Amino acid sequence: MTTAVAEAQDAHDEHHGPEKGFRRWLFTTNHKDIGTMYLVFSLVMFFIGGSMALVIRSELMQPGLQFVHPEFFNSMTTMHALIMVFGAVMPAFVGLANWMIPMMIGAPDMALPRMNNWSFWILPVAFGILLSTLFMDGGAPAGGWTMYPPLILQTGDAFPFLIFSVHLMGISSIMGSINIIVTILNMRAPDMWLLKMPMFVWTWLITAYLLIAVMPVLAGAVTMLLTDQFFGTSFFLAAGGGDPVMFQHIFWFFGHPEVYIMILPAFGVVSEIIPTFSRKPLFGHDSMVYAASSIAFLSFIVWAHHMFTVGMPLSGQMFFMFATMLIAVPTGVKVFNWVATMWRGSMTFETPMLFALAFVFLFTIGGFSGLMLAIAPADIQYHDTYFVVAHFHYVLVPGSIFALMAGAYYWLPKWTGHMYNESLGKLHFWLSAIFVNVTFFPMHFLGLAGMPRRIPDYSTQFADFNMIASIGALGFGFSQLIFVWVLLTAKKGAEATDRVWEAPKGLEWTVPSPAPYHTFDKPPKARIAQEAFE
Amino acid sequence: MTDEEKDRRRGVRRTTIILVAVALAFYLGFILIGVLRS
Repeated sequence: MTTAVAEAQDAHDEHHGPEKGFRRWLFTTNHKDIGTMYLVFSLVMFFIGGSMALVIRSELMQPGLQFVHPEFFNSMTTMHALIMVFGAVMPAFVGLANWMIPMMIGAPDMALPRMNNWSFWILPVAFGILLSTLFMDGGAPAGGWTMYPPLILQTGDAFPFLIFSVHLMGISSIMGSINIIVTILNMRAPDMWLLKMPMFVWTWLITAYLLIAVMPVLAGAVTMLLTDQFFGTSFFLAAGGGDPVMFQHIFWFFGHPEVYIMILPAFGVVSEIIPTFSRKPLFGHDSMVYAASSIAFLSFIVWAHHMFTVGMPLSGQMFFMFATMLIAVPTGVKVFNWVATMWRGSMTFETPMLFALAFVFLFTIGGFSGLMLAIAPADIQYHDTYFVVAHFHYVLVPGSIFALMAGAYYWLPKWTGHMYNESLGKLHFWLSAIFVNVTFFPMHFLGLAGMPRRIPDYSTQFADFNMIASIGALGFGFSQLIFVWVLLTAKKGAEATDRVWEAPKGLEWTVPSPAPYHTFDKPPKARIAQEAFE
Repeated sequence: MTDEEKDRRRGVRRTTIILVAVALAFYLGFILIGVLRS
């Protein structure tokens, strides 16, 4: 099977190989090229957003003002969040989706390849505009990534650029998710039934539906902000009869599903890796699909748990509190199934597995602190403190970012045709795992002690834990340079086999390593390919 | 072009149109909520 596919692809490449030079990247419609561009772009954004995090942590290393003006500090927190959410995590998962989904379902490419090119190239423009605001009169946006009015309307010249760039990011995400859904629903190999699809494909299908539902809501909210600022409307201006709290409701109707947009594909990646390195099939595949779908559904009816302190009827608080707690059930199903997959498996601990294991353990910590925040009366104490910062960073850093790292190490040999440096990979993992906890765990204590978030200075009682967190952040940041080195030297390792690992399952492992420029010109028989490996 | 390919193209077109319509409905719908409440 593998040989037949390889021969067919070699013949095909002679006629339709990639173009040379920049035209290949500018005009490409190849899903692998576009996937690579998404991944490189997100890595660049990860370092830009990360350097902003280091500015924040350097300023907070000691009480008092050290390095930056408070207004610039606020710009850093705002830009760090916008860049990490929309520029690093989301595009990185879209990059993985572009690379892997067509190969996993036996499709020759994405269903709408030209739109795929557009949805990528909109992103550098959007973030070029956003980053240019750092040099504008009044500075970059500083009202927080939530963009609450009336505060955000005090932004200087940067305001319309912020709104425009958020619109562009939204358009890019919507186009990307339309492409993913259309591809999965229409381009699967004949034997690839929906419930036979790999978990990564399933979680991305659900994520793409979430994106199509909520990115237009964010776009609608920022459009209304724009008209309030420049066209005399009063959607959110109390003086004109508008309602600023309505913005918060609309924003979080987008914002909470957004959390799952960043974590569901991570669940998919981990669900691919744990079975491979446990040498067992994924425990409860179908229940994982139903759990991911349940999480997606519930994410639409919990948004006001971000707003308990804004004020709402007691019945509203009760509803949003219990609905939020309900999410723990399908999430628990997933964690149970990952553990059950490993149970009595023949486990080995290569770098992707290490990151995946850390994901399961540390993401669960983030999940538990989320349950604490869901309790409405307790949230009045926790709200707007560093406890919240600790919570969502546990979800997003050892959660989403670790899953991305796991996925990158797992599929890198398939992309490059060479094994990466395993020792450096493990060093990268251990430094990341240690420093991520040194950075974010003390923030729980700071929050419980009452340290508010989004401030450049603090009371001296918080000094020790802030010093520890800042040292951890610097360590974590510089540890990521190891990953860059691993990538730069990725082609120097031993040649990878087609299967790469000992027990991977799925169509992507039936094509040669590196994956040819064109794969599956003719639809493969999914079941035949699977059986060849079992 | 085989019948199978034609069906696939038709499916791609139909799914795309539905998804674009859904996205537009959410965008305009939420702005309409804003208009009705303000």
